[in-house]
Amino acid sequence: MKLFWSFTRQAFQLMSIYRFNFFAEILLTFLRMYAIYWVWRILYTQKPGAFGIDLKQMVTYGVLGMAMEVFIWSRPQWYMANQVRSGAIDTDLMKPLDFHFHMLARSTGETIIGFALGTPALIFSYLVLGINLPSDIGTGLAFLISLALGYLVLFHLNFLLGTLAVLTLNIRHISWAYYSIVRFFGGQMVPLWLFPPFVAVIANVLPFRSTYYIPMSIYIGKLVGADVLKAVEFQLIWVVALVLLSRVMWGLAHRRLVVQGG
Amino acid sequence: MIEALRLYVKLVGISMQARLQYRADFIIGAFSIVALNAINLGLIGIIVYRFVNLNGWNIWQLFFLYCLWLLGHCLYSLFFWHFGDLEEYLIQGTFDQFLLRPARPFIQFMGREVQYIGFADMFVAIVGLGLAYIRLDLHWGLTTWLFAFLVVISGTLIETTLILMVACISFWTGRSGFAMDAIMEFNVIVQHYPIDIFGYWFRVIVTGLIPVAFMNYYPSLILLNKVDRTNVSWLGYLSPIVALVLVGITSIVWNRALRRYSSSGG
Repeated sequence: MKLFWSFTRQAFQLMSIYRFNFFAEILLTFLRMYAIYWVWRILYTQKPGAFGIDLKQMVTYGVLGMAMEVFIWSRPQWYMANQVRSGAIDTDLMKPLDFHFHMLARSTGETIIGFALGTPALIFSYLVLGINLPSDIGTGLAFLISLALGYLVLFHLNFLLGTLAVLTLNIRHISWAYYSIVRFFGGQMVPLWLFPPFVAVIANVLPFRSTYYIPMSIYIGKLVGADVLKAVEFQLIWVVALVLLSRVMWGLAHRRLVVQGG
Repeated sequence: MIEALRLYVKLVGISMQARLQYRADFIIGAFSIVALNAINLGLIGIIVYRFVNLNGWNIWQLFFLYCLWLLGHCLYSLFFWHFGDLEEYLIQGTFDQFLLRPARPFIQFMGREVQYIGFADMFVAIVGLGLAYIRLDLHWGLTTWLFAFLVVISGTLIETTLILMVACISFWTGRSGFAMDAIMEFNVIVQHYPIDIFGYWFRVIVTGLIPVAFMNYYPSLILLNKVDRTNVSWLGYLSPIVALVLVGITSIVWNRALRRYSSSGG
């Protein structure tokens, strides 16, 4: 475990040196929140109380969606693709830590940065745009647990994409479609209850709704009581399934790995 | 001038040939771009499906808005995408090449890369605009068509000059990341939503400071015969003028930047 945290810290330090501009990132996140705030506000003026959700809940969902994107932003697949392409992956394989675990440690470091960036923007939104806090401590806790599971699901999806990079070397172009699919079926911008029925059926089976939709629906109080448990169970099942799948796929890819250069 | 154009065409040809080496890359990239746009349009579609319209914009009008932006953008993404990477050219010292050869640095820089995946943007934009034109039952006369054509070219110029101008910041500071991201962010928002849903200051920014609203919103009011709630529908006619002004400013900035240039390495 100590080894895990040392890699987490390393990723954190690397990122914090040159990867971003703190204030700029917060400002841009707030800009996205501002835009989605007005979209929902206008729509709810047209149709108040649509789908049993009030304006403030909907605005909270929208704003939180933008914050979540920053929170669980981690890109193990970029790292993996870069290392494979440059051949530096062999140094990763020599490290005294399981590769999958190493990637998880790195991502966790990046996620800590994500929280450091997303939280100020969220607080700013709370003050300026007026979003809800979780209705009680229990809801807040359930949200945090669900958020952690959502992070794990997203991490493993990303990891699987990174595994693909071993075979294709380039995942830049695929990622455009991939991110859109995750955000769409994840309900990052438009919640699943607004989907047309036949699209909702598909979205409900796929793992993507674990990433944004479930934690955010718990936060705003759309999911309550037994539904929360059912949703968290859904997340847990996917985490287990994806962990197993990631181990198997990485094992296969590892055998096919060709290290370039000497 | 003719000589410069000939050189540019030749450079673009070479860049295109270099790119065409990677056929699988193109197919995956094109597929990805189409999927990305389809999903974006799907999200707008779902919103309108549930709420009937967005501030008086129905689904096809919103698609028109999105695709008009995209059509201007696709020419930028085809030919000028690498303007945004100027920072890298400077840091890595690649820019020195342009100054050593006996041709205008700008022409060489411009012809350096072609992002042929922009064809996928073009495909989506044309299909989207075509469908919207039919569904909205538009019947444009010759002058409207000419105006639409001008709007698209202006859109390309507006985006390209804004990106290039911001990229030039790195001649002074070495970095241009934040300003570039900010422009992209405003760009994406303006592409997706009619700006009349936002507050006053937002509209001022995208009209006066980062005039991306001239790429789609203002011209759309005219092309779709919509009445703007703030009575500024005539602004759409200014798109070509905004583009020309930006071209002028950018050429001044570029020339200043070149004089300021000092290479990164030995």
